[in-house]
Amino acid sequence: MIVFIARRLVISFFVLLAATFIIYVLTALSGDPLEDLRQDNSPQKAQKIADRSERMQLDLPIPVRYLDWLGRTVRGDLGVNRDGQDIATILGDALSATLQLVLAATVLAITVGVIIGIVSALRQYSGFDYTVTFAAFVCFSLPLFWVAVMLKQYMAIEFNNWLKNPVIPFPVIGLLALLGGLIFGALTTGDRKRRLMAFAVGFVISGALFTVLSSTRWFADPGLGLPLILAFGLASAVGFTALSAGLQYRGPLYAALAAAVIGAMCSELLNPLLIDPTWLEIGGLVLLTVAVCVGLGYGLGGLQRRQAIIATVLTGLFTGGMVFLDRMLQAFASYSASVRGRPISTIGARTPNYTGDFWQLNLDSAGHLLLPSMALILISLATYTRYSRASMLEVMNQDYVRTGRAKGLPERTVVVKHAFRNGLIPITTLMAFDFAGVIGGAVVTETVFGWRGMGFMFTKGLEEVDPAPVMAFFLVTGTAIVIFNMIADILYAYLDPRIRLS
Amino acid sequence: MTLSAQASGPDTGAAQGMTIVARTQGQMIRRRFFRHRAALAGMILFGFVVVLSFSSIGFMGVPGWWDKSYLTTGALVNQGKPTLSVVPEFLGGSGIHLGEHPFGQDDIGVDYFAKTMRGTQQSIIVAFLVAIVATTVGTLVGAVSGYYRGKTEAVLMRFTDVMITIPVLVIAAVVGRRFGASGVVVLGVFIGLVIWPSMARLLRGEFLSLREKEFVEAARALGTSARRIIFRHILPNTVGVIIVSATLTVANAVLLESALSFLGLGVQAPDTSLGQLINEYRTAMVTRPWLFWWPGIFIIAIALSINFIGDGLRDAFDPRQTRVRA
Amino acid sequence: MTTPPNVPLDPQALDPQTIDPHAYEDAAHLLDSAEEVHVGRTLQDARPPSQEEILRVENLTVEFPTEDGVVHAVRGVSYGLREREVLGIVGESGSGKSVSSLAVMGLLPKNARVKGRILFRGDDMLKMSARKQRGLRGRKIAMIFQDPMTALNPVHSIGDQLAEAVLAHELMPRKTALARAKEMLDLVGIPQAEARLRSYPHEFSGGMRQRAMIAMAVINNPDVIIADEPTTALDVTVQAQILEKLLEVKDAVNAAIVLITHDLGVIAGMAHRVLVMYAGRPVELGDTDPVFEEPRMPYTAGLLGSIPSLEGGGSSRLRPIKGTPPSLINLPTGCPFSPRCPLATDVCREQEPPLAETDSGGHYAACHHWDKLAAVEDPTVFFRTESETVA
Ligand SMILES: Nc1ncnc2c1ncn2[C@@H]1O[C@H](COP(=O)(O)OP(=O)(O)O)[C@@H](O)[C@H]1O
Ligand code: SF4
Ligand SMILES: [Mg+2]
Repeated sequence: MIVFIARRLVISFFVLLAATFIIYVLTALSGDPLEDLRQDNSPQKAQKIADRSERMQLDLPIPVRYLDWLGRTVRGDLGVNRDGQDIATILGDALSATLQLVLAATVLAITVGVIIGIVSALRQYSGFDYTVTFAAFVCFSLPLFWVAVMLKQYMAIEFNNWLKNPVIPFPVIGLLALLGGLIFGALTTGDRKRRLMAFAVGFVISGALFTVLSSTRWFADPGLGLPLILAFGLASAVGFTALSAGLQYRGPLYAALAAAVIGAMCSELLNPLLIDPTWLEIGGLVLLTVAVCVGLGYGLGGLQRRQAIIATVLTGLFTGGMVFLDRMLQAFASYSASVRGRPISTIGARTPNYTGDFWQLNLDSAGHLLLPSMALILISLATYTRYSRASMLEVMNQDYVRTGRAKGLPERTVVVKHAFRNGLIPITTLMAFDFAGVIGGAVVTETVFGWRGMGFMFTKGLEEVDPAPVMAFFLVTGTAIVIFNMIADILYAYLDPRIRLS
Repeated sequence: MTLSAQASGPDTGAAQGMTIVARTQGQMIRRRFFRHRAALAGMILFGFVVVLSFSSIGFMGVPGWWDKSYLTTGALVNQGKPTLSVVPEFLGGSGIHLGEHPFGQDDIGVDYFAKTMRGTQQSIIVAFLVAIVATTVGTLVGAVSGYYRGKTEAVLMRFTDVMITIPVLVIAAVVGRRFGASGVVVLGVFIGLVIWPSMARLLRGEFLSLREKEFVEAARALGTSARRIIFRHILPNTVGVIIVSATLTVANAVLLESALSFLGLGVQAPDTSLGQLINEYRTAMVTRPWLFWWPGIFIIAIALSINFIGDGLRDAFDPRQTRVRA
Repeated sequence: MTTPPNVPLDPQALDPQTIDPHAYEDAAHLLDSAEEVHVGRTLQDARPPSQEEILRVENLTVEFPTEDGVVHAVRGVSYGLREREVLGIVGESGSGKSVSSLAVMGLLPKNARVKGRILFRGDDMLKMSARKQRGLRGRKIAMIFQDPMTALNPVHSIGDQLAEAVLAHELMPRKTALARAKEMLDLVGIPQAEARLRSYPHEFSGGMRQRAMIAMAVINNPDVIIADEPTTALDVTVQAQILEKLLEVKDAVNAAIVLITHDLGVIAGMAHRVLVMYAGRPVELGDTDPVFEEPRMPYTAGLLGSIPSLEGGGSSRLRPIKGTPPSLINLPTGCPFSPRCPLATDVCREQEPPLAETDSGGHYAACHHWDKLAAVEDPTVFFRTESETVA
């Protein structure tokens, strides 16, 4: 494995090196860096031109300039842009914003996309499947920047306006209930009667839900509270157990339920800690949760220890996530007030000079990340959905899935253990490809949302025919792509024992 | 032996109506494509967009049926609001009619329908050029490296690896910065020249597997030249893959071009394209939303219809997912 | 209560030594040997079949609605399988052998329309709850598939896939299940079974994988094993070994076998009874020897004529049956074999012959003119070409 990684690193290094040369040359050739100055009518025109030519070494041939850049970069000096600003300083601010955006979008796209794709494959030819397929095609065909502008207009501006008086009008509740009913109905297979039943159930549940949320003005001061955390936790316990061990035997179920109860209680018990934690403490809590859950699964799992541990850990993490979400939501009202009632931001990566507690700061980044990642996610989401659907359909048709059924395994085990694991393998290859696309998308998204991130650095540098910032952008994103590729490769090797040796 | 003589004729089966209906591959592909309803709808929609954009304002000096130009300004009517109406009167609308400026006017009174049509033409041209160039280059590189393997493959594939590390938008933006102002043809060709690697990779995979097939072995054994094997024996077997991927490249290129133009790194004013229009009127979202909506709708219409066509073609050429297992 | 509780294997039966002391001692040598093992050996059962029927298929019909029309894959197949019996099913590819056995396993795709009755110890599996059916699958009725290269999951270890088959039906510590898996690998003659448990399928040769599949099939001590062309995908050199192992294992666990193949030699050597299928129909059924020596259906005769003579003497000239099987979507009226049958007459083209008893008891054939076959010495004579007959 180490040899494998090392070899990949060496190859990637040379690939990246070659790519930097191509980008450098193309950027340097892409226009006239002195264009704006030539139109300058000020008396210092000649001086300005001389200054800039000197700074950009315009008298040297391009390959020499490249070598010079390379030499300095190796020594850790990214140089200055054409106006003399230090690239490393600009980069520092831009980097974290962009990486946050890109990672958030990628992680979300993979999780949600794969889940939707699998469900849609398992429900092939259902209403849900057709809807997902159609929606994916629409997403493939949407211009990212157009969506971003639309989101900015309707999701941010109008949503913030609505939050001032968060009452859902009755026709809208009706529509939402209808939507809920349709989703339930589309997810159900079987004869018409069953689907109508599902539709009715979905309609009533979502109708009631939104009526309650609206009449209690929940959106103005949201939160879950202990009862809801407990309810979600218990539901997740049942769900995860059903997926990993089945509900036939009690051991794993009890372990998972216990995890949910303990998790929900911690929301109260750990209150002093949770008022204003740090990320380090949150990390510690996550580890603690895993440890406790492993213990529970081990102790209560009986003969199905392995499955019990999986179900319990997932339940524990999910319940913990609910507690986290609850805290975030509770901080919403105060945060919203502190940003003058406009929590969904349209500009920048954070509110300038904002101070607040842990939850408020998180809400602030979340509010800024929300729309750009929603825009950025669309295409990747569609890609992951399509791929995992196709991959799952293909796998479900494989002989070994039939073998699994022939052994008398329950359908759940066949899907989770035999199909899902194999279905993931081609997705890892896709991850590597898709990541580069997300970076490209980030450039566009940042422009629309006015982030001063890497994308901005790139477009500005390119417009000014200034290789230094463009190269800094590429160094970072290229390295990220290479690393991501490698993660995908390692994941592939982990998932597929056939290539473990190579 | 009267008994056996009776049954040994090769046509007896057909007379009994039991032979499998023989269809040529082409017929089957066509049949599967036309059964794909979304693909058919996509084809109609795309045909409509092409005919509308090229016939309305004319093309390359040939005049069209629309009487306004995308260059001349006119008096602003009703703040440039669109006059198109599609809601019939009995439904409380103002009837179905185009009006003077169906898509409205821009801020200096240019007819926005004519402008959108011009942008559509340009975007379509760029997209097709990109797809043609990228497909040709990608196919050649993929074919050569897949067939020859060894050194040729290593060199070409390393180069492809390098190009794939660079996000498409980034490399296309660099090219667009240089050639955006030189008109759509130059822009299209050069974007095509930088985005072919993924196509090459795909084709190389196909060639790698096909070159091991018996019919290629046989051709090699007969001493057929490599070039002939590549073009006459293997390439025809990859037509499906090429066509499907070329189609999807068109859809992606429409989006890519518009994204570049939106960033100001593609088509430059006074020339226009759908992305350039959106960029130009980006701030108009609040005051004159139609300037923003129309080009967007046309981009989506083109990309969506071509994506559907591509999906239909994929199903037609490779019906694996609907295959019946024996 | 028709399905007795899962009795653990008789330790005597499990001990490989008591089955065949040499089979697994030199299994490693066997695996490498290219020497062909003689297949057509006479049957020697440790315990002969009993008279009790464990599996009874009655009038099984399977249809697949497709875009081109309804595929009539299986039409009215009936047979009974007695305890410890080997029933061979032969037929050209596409004749419905796999579909009919998948129907027994309940493994057909959802769109299949299955009619008829499939009785396991008197219980109709088609009417059972899904859960109960799953309880039989892999525990009472196991299946071995044609292609061992694709039938094992590439991402899980062999031991895991074997243990899983046990754990699907019985809650027990994983260790116990793995120990059982190891015993089974020993039983099927995989050397170093302990270490092999951790191997992945790709580290096995085709023959070894099929052995692993056999191990998986018998791990729950089933009553019926359905083997669908278990050797078709394998090297000729290992085919015989696998078949012999299959018989040996069957004796060890006292199972009956439905052996699907298109190799008549295999049937002759292994099966007690044989069912011949053509175009989804059962066309001849009877004890192996009478069917092979006195076929009462021209198709069977044609099949026999198209393989080298079983007696070893005589001409080994191949005489394939002319023509192709009919489309299963537009079946011809009358006997489906009539377009290719040298004996066909008008009545054949109008009426489909039922599967009816012929001159000897327990020997059934679906042919209007079986008596014509009974009248000649060598029924394959009808399939000789003109030149041959003239000469
Ligand atoms: N899922 C399916 N859908 C449609 N037709 C099928 C399906 N599965 C099998 N068939 C058809 O049923 C017929 C019998 O197939 P099979 O039982 O596999 O034949 P064999 O005797 O070779 O095992 C074949 O013509 C096959 O094409
Ligand atoms: S019924 Fe007629 S056609 Fe059919 S097998 Fe018998 S003789 Fe031949
Ligand atoms: Mg078969």
